[in-house]
Amino acid sequence: MTPIYLQRAALHCALGDDLHHAAQALQRGQAPQGEPFVLHEVQEPRTYLYAAKTGESLSERLDRLLAETLGGPPQTLDDCLLIVASTSLDISELEALTTERQGFCPDDSTSLDLLAHQLRQRWGFAAAFTLNTACTSAANGLLYGARLINAGQYARTLVLSFETPSAIAMQGFGALMLTSPSGQYRPFHPERDGLLLGEAYAAALLSREPGDAPLARLLGGFSACDTSSLTTTREDGSHIHWVMQQALNSAGCSAAQINLVKLHGTATSANDEAESNGMRRLYGEQMPALSLLKPWLGHTLGACGLSESLLLLKTLQLGALPTVDYASEALLPFSAEPQALAADSLLLTNFFGFGGNNASLVLQGCAQGDSACR
Amino acid sequence: MPVIAACEIHGLASMDDKQLKTALGHWLDSPPRRIDRLILQCLLAAAPLKSQVRRNCGLYLASAHPARATMGALLEAVCVQHKQPKPFEFVNSVSNAAGFHIAQQLSIEGPNLFIGAGAQVWMQLQALANLDLQDGLIEQALLLVCDEHGDFCVQAVLLEGATAGAYANSFAELSADTEVLRIKL
Repeated sequence: MTPIYLQRAALHCALGDDLHHAAQALQRGQAPQGEPFVLHEVQEPRTYLYAAKTGESLSERLDRLLAETLGGPPQTLDDCLLIVASTSLDISELEALTTERQGFCPDDSTSLDLLAHQLRQRWGFAAAFTLNTACTSAANGLLYGARLINAGQYARTLVLSFETPSAIAMQGFGALMLTSPSGQYRPFHPERDGLLLGEAYAAALLSREPGDAPLARLLGGFSACDTSSLTTTREDGSHIHWVMQQALNSAGCSAAQINLVKLHGTATSANDEAESNGMRRLYGEQMPALSLLKPWLGHTLGACGLSESLLLLKTLQLGALPTVDYASEALLPFSAEPQALAADSLLLTNFFGFGGNNASLVLQGCAQGDSACR
Repeated sequence: MPVIAACEIHGLASMDDKQLKTALGHWLDSPPRRIDRLILQCLLAAAPLKSQVRRNCGLYLASAHPARATMGALLEAVCVQHKQPKPFEFVNSVSNAAGFHIAQQLSIEGPNLFIGAGAQVWMQLQALANLDLQDGLIEQALLLVCDEHGDFCVQAVLLEGATAGAYANSFAELSADTEVLRIKL
């Protein structure tokens, strides 16, 4: 695949209300403060990682995010595709409406394309669509958005991805017994007990040109459906291994060239086991540096492909990645020391989801301020 | 685009999910259990093409709406009754469940995307599929659009090989040179 630049980006998340502050917080190892909620019926407490509360409506929040991403004076976007990658879309607004009316009216149901259509109208994008492939939504948005540029369909693509604090998601993952009772988010820990959900809003502008301050180049990726189970991937890691290998092939690089693998790492029993096995199939026991980002952001579901990629890339620009404080006990060989990697490191990033959706991307970071990133 | 098969299913709003399951049983030996109306509708349009679909196929699926009954049940349970959602309803709502079940039933191993169906949906699906066809990741692409406004209509097209030409802007245009299997339920 011809490399495509992540030219500009923005992130609002539990670690900070902009990408720079979130990356600084990650470097300091400053964990986000979760807030409790109670699972219905069983009345058990769980933790959610909210972004900063701003009082904005979803439309206002997304408009602010787009303005931050595009930067500078207003510009025409008639050469730019908008991909809205989200599983929650406007569900929080429907939840509020249902609570207020004490019932759901089918006529209140909105189209899956509503937000993409409204944003296209307000901002003048050339085209727009909604993409929902569960927790691989944003990863697929980046991959297909970049390839549509390479195919000459658009000069630029803006991938907009978000997950709002949905009561259905909080209660639903609780009902599946996938949320952490302890409130400790510890992927690949032998006593891991599930995930914490997180709120995030993320956007990236993709282009063939690097722009003034590119974050990274997307070199390749691959996405496919594991049809063995709706909720888990093959525990032997074979499908994950195949997807990672295909992603490397598309980027024209080998597993040995990768400097760091950003793991999906949900801290659920089955997912971490499958990803550990997939990694061992690809690397044996000699693995590159490994990174976990969900403990810092929460699991941001459809947005994780973008929220985690942006946070990783910005943190690498600023300096070292934080330690994993249970490294000696973990299923995979994490570093017990801060990891300082070159900003232009080659990265393999994994994203797996319900519906059998497995995706991996290959990215190369750009040093901060390096407008000639190659 | 090189279309090798096409199917169009029409159903009345009055048809309940049990009737749809019965209809699906004519095409599939072991239809999946605990599936919602959107999944049933999509399977009904994809299943008649099963004999022509190969493993090396991608799936590009679109719907204008989520499964409204599933969404309504989740909202009522969580926001009104303060209950936990039924796990299968939650999983069906949060994932690309229709795409998963089509891929599983038709033994499709390629990429599997789900998009919201807007005005340009057919061109968008062709553009996404053509990326994977041109790059040789797949040999076939199954495109499917589900629309339900009272009565419902699901249209499916099976493509083989990439195109360098312009994309069709409707099912009718895309399937113009193909015999369309039309089924009224």
